[in-house]
Amino acid sequence: MLATAPLLAARGVSKSFFGNPVLRDVSIALQPGRVHALLGENGAGKSTLINLLSGALRPDGGAIEVDGRPVPRMSPAYAQQAGIAVVQQELSLTASLSIAENIGLGAYPRRFGLLDYPELAVRARAACDLVGLHEPLSMPVGQLSLGRRQMVEIAKALYRRPRVLILDEPTSSLSANETKVLTDLLERLRGEGIAILYISHRLNEVMALCQHVTVLKDGTCTADRTLEGTDARGLVRLMVGRDPGDLFPHWQPSASAANAISVRNFSAGLMRDVDLDIRTGEVLGIGGLVGQGQEDLLLGLYGAIPARTASAIVKGASGLPSGVPKANALGLAYVPADRKREGLHLIHSIITNMMLPTFARLPALKLRSRRAERETARGLAAQLGIKGDLDRPAQALSGGNQQKVALAKWMPHDPLVLLLNDPTRGVDVETKREIYMMLRNFAAAGKAVVLLSSDTPELVHLCDRVAVVREGHIVAMLKRGALSEEAIVSAAMGAEQRKVAA
Amino acid sequence: MNTVAPSGQAGALYWPVQLRRNVGVRSLFAVVMAFLVAYGFLFPGLLTASGFAKFTQSWFPLALVAMAQAILMLTGGISLAIGAMVSLGAVIAATTMTGPLGIAGGAAAVALTGVGIGAATGFIVVKLRLPAIVVTLAGSFIIGGAALLILPRPGGAIPEWLSDLLAGNTPAAFVLLMLIVLLWKLYLATPLGLSLYAAGENPVGAYRSGVPVDGARIAAYAISGLLCTGAGLFVAAQTGSGDPVIGTAFTLNSIAAAVLGGIGFLGGQGTMRGALAGSLLLSLMISVMFFLGFTPVAQYVAQGLIIIGAVATPQFRKVQQ
Repeated sequence: MLATAPLLAARGVSKSFFGNPVLRDVSIALQPGRVHALLGENGAGKSTLINLLSGALRPDGGAIEVDGRPVPRMSPAYAQQAGIAVVQQELSLTASLSIAENIGLGAYPRRFGLLDYPELAVRARAACDLVGLHEPLSMPVGQLSLGRRQMVEIAKALYRRPRVLILDEPTSSLSANETKVLTDLLERLRGEGIAILYISHRLNEVMALCQHVTVLKDGTCTADRTLEGTDARGLVRLMVGRDPGDLFPHWQPSASAANAISVRNFSAGLMRDVDLDIRTGEVLGIGGLVGQGQEDLLLGLYGAIPARTASAIVKGASGLPSGVPKANALGLAYVPADRKREGLHLIHSIITNMMLPTFARLPALKLRSRRAERETARGLAAQLGIKGDLDRPAQALSGGNQQKVALAKWMPHDPLVLLLNDPTRGVDVETKREIYMMLRNFAAAGKAVVLLSSDTPELVHLCDRVAVVREGHIVAMLKRGALSEEAIVSAAMGAEQRKVAA
Repeated sequence: MNTVAPSGQAGALYWPVQLRRNVGVRSLFAVVMAFLVAYGFLFPGLLTASGFAKFTQSWFPLALVAMAQAILMLTGGISLAIGAMVSLGAVIAATTMTGPLGIAGGAAAVALTGVGIGAATGFIVVKLRLPAIVVTLAGSFIIGGAALLILPRPGGAIPEWLSDLLAGNTPAAFVLLMLIVLLWKLYLATPLGLSLYAAGENPVGAYRSGVPVDGARIAAYAISGLLCTGAGLFVAAQTGSGDPVIGTAFTLNSIAAAVLGGIGFLGGQGTMRGALAGSLLLSLMISVMFFLGFTPVAQYVAQGLIIIGAVATPQFRKVQQ
């Protein structure tokens, strides 16, 4: 099989964003007639690798090869000419154009300079037939469900008659039936000698469909081997595991039996019918793959998005907070994941940022006391280790220090429940260590800390319990003794059982 | 790599696509028809040749600027320089057509100015990634100033026979409008023209699909400029002379017409037939209120209320769902 040159390959590619290495010396070779799986946790570098292969990004080091020859200036246009088609995760469709016009976009057949609609109809119909898309070609894409749009996206890739087909989580929004159609189709395309790169978090699909696997972990390649003779657990082991070192504080039990928040049949956004008790004095982790509804869980509890529940007790009072001011009054605080857009007001001073929640509590027309504000801010800065002049704009701080400010602003109110959305994303190691220490101290002081995280090791080493979310449900509640990276990733990916998608 | 083999009956595609584009504007068409009937009652002369000519002539420049604005809004842009462009077109026509350039030369000068300024604006907005609203606001000062430099006070002249042809008792305005609509349909049937929707609604996706996003947007600005100066030429023919500030009201009216016609501010939403219907509705509203004896002030208030109502109605429906 390896006698022929790979249709598309990356040789030792590296890529950094803002000095942060995302890929280090990664190689991958896509052979004709083979379905190649690309596995890895959130943030392992899968999307970056696809972007390099499809020319959307250029590597910092290493080379992209087409038919065995290095291509120095890979671009999306060159990739198209070379027969490389990508089905991206974020859809590239235009809602107001019809199915056929979307499928042909960028590669329309022409006659006398005009778009050749009869020819487009024939070719788009053929591509739609392949993926079992039987809606009229003239239907605007905006009227289709998410799953059907995904099928249009795949038809769009097939319309270009690719030699290499890259699919980035194509089944995440497909029904079981549509998934079946797709897997049959990929089998057929493989038989025709097309090279396929398949990214999925559903290990069962990968085991059934793929012949070869590359596993990425923290931007490096941990496996490049045939799938024969491996099992799902073995793959999971290749994806996780990292030396925790002395990053995490020593864990001591501090949970009490009292519930800070207790909800039954809670639904908000993507989350459906969740039962959850959050105890005072514990760090409760929320894990799972990105976008399974974890954020909606936090926002729903915080009153920031509409939520329904059969019964809810928050800090002894019945009912969920109806809005953010209510939640704050009850002692809830939320630190968003997107510091730059939601957590901070970047162009304003650090002091102003720290004082914002306090402003909300003061009578609207009371005169401010600059001196008292400065006192409070100095105290907070000392407490959280924020160094330097507090009159600088918040954007002057590093990511880690920005995160500290986003946390600090709630401290004057002594919140009982801290809802943290991925607080260590993009934060340097030293600040991570400080934040971890702070979280354990909060718990020891009798607060409830809810830690939503995309970083599995911190869930394992920091939390008393971890709720793993998949497709809007809590599929596992892992207690301290049962916590391991493998247990969390297995539960998040459904490695144990096959779940029929809705 | 014959993965896609033609199979089955594809059937016709162009006309079904066109029919589906009507779905969003059906209620608008109904309202326009109702206004047309009301207008016919108030002003029975509509059905005579001269009445029809006068009516289409009063609508024609508004229809052109509504199209000019709608094209830009489809790309996700907007122009505050529409009125200034109309004025500039009018003064260029009024100062060149009776001079050595003659009518053909004058018309060419008007057209070239429109395309040139439009393309330059587009280039600045697209290539320098500046907000269209700021660039065109600055442009409106520059272009308006240029019009005043060419013709500091109303004057100049349009050859009488051209005025009679365009703004006399002839259906020339209507015929021209039909011709422009036909040309627009042709443009939308080219890959570049159709890409306008994708470039406006989902530029990243369009770029990844191989669409020349920047080119499609700059072309839209050039076409928009041409339509504006063309409207200016027509306005000059209507009045028989050039006026350097005659276009001012068209800027906001063009936005009003496009919004009434269902063009969205986010790009890629709406249809040109909607924008045309919107401009007709606006033109009819102004006429009907005039015949009903509304004072000019009351007309403005009513106009504003109707536009807010028209934009809010779909939003109410969305909230209820």
